[in-house]
Amino acid sequence: MTEDRTAEGNGRRCGFSARILGGGAEPDPRFTLANERTFLAWIRTSLALIAGGIAVEAFTADHFLPALRKPIAIILLSLGLVIGAGSFFRWLNVERSIRKRNPLPLPLIAPVLAIGGALVAGTMVVFVVVGQA
Amino acid sequence: MQGQPATPTHGDAGLQPERSDLAWRRTAMSLLVAASIFLRWMPHHGWFAGTLVAAAVATAGAINISRKHRYLRAITGINRERIIPDAASTAALAASVVVLAALSIYAVLVVPLDQ
Repeated sequence: MTEDRTAEGNGRRCGFSARILGGGAEPDPRFTLANERTFLAWIRTSLALIAGGIAVEAFTADHFLPALRKPIAIILLSLGLVIGAGSFFRWLNVERSIRKRNPLPLPLIAPVLAIGGALVAGTMVVFVVVGQA
Repeated sequence: MQGQPATPTHGDAGLQPERSDLAWRRTAMSLLVAASIFLRWMPHHGWFAGTLVAAAVATAGAINISRKHRYLRAITGINRERIIPDAASTAALAASVVVLAALSIYAVLVVPLDQ
């Protein structure tokens, strides 16, 4: 497990990171770790949406008609997919910005999450009010 | 420097290495939660759901196996005041979450329920 901690030393080891991060100066390692934790928080959000989508499809078969169940499951799963993919690009853009000392980019996935969540809630409200699907 | 070295310490009052380690652990646990909900699909989707369970558990396992390495990396990074961002881990994790979501959408839309 602890094999080559020294190889990390001058940091020329991770070719992939060096390739996709571009130039700029090495930032404070605390910023890099904070960015990584933020990425993980987005990934967990994405996983919660995916788990929610599966749960709707798996647990509500006796209560909801497929006409309600499938769209809600698909919206939740698509939202999870978009947020999961977006979280990596968000991580990459933030990492590039802090290396170049640029202002941080706005999080595009935040409005996606808000609109998607509202869409799911709205669909549920319509079905509860209009017909007991 | 021979044998098993003791875990190095760091002087970071913000406890960044611990918080990062715990964030990875929470993420692995979220994957296991998703895997256990996929289990509920097994009676309907059979081996396809089984594949999703296995993929989620494998990703959680990969995170847990590499945890110690990542923790030590964070500590050495803090001590040296520089750390190489772990682009391979973030890319791999995001990719596996995207694959899980895509396969789930496929299951909801296409895979017939064997009932």
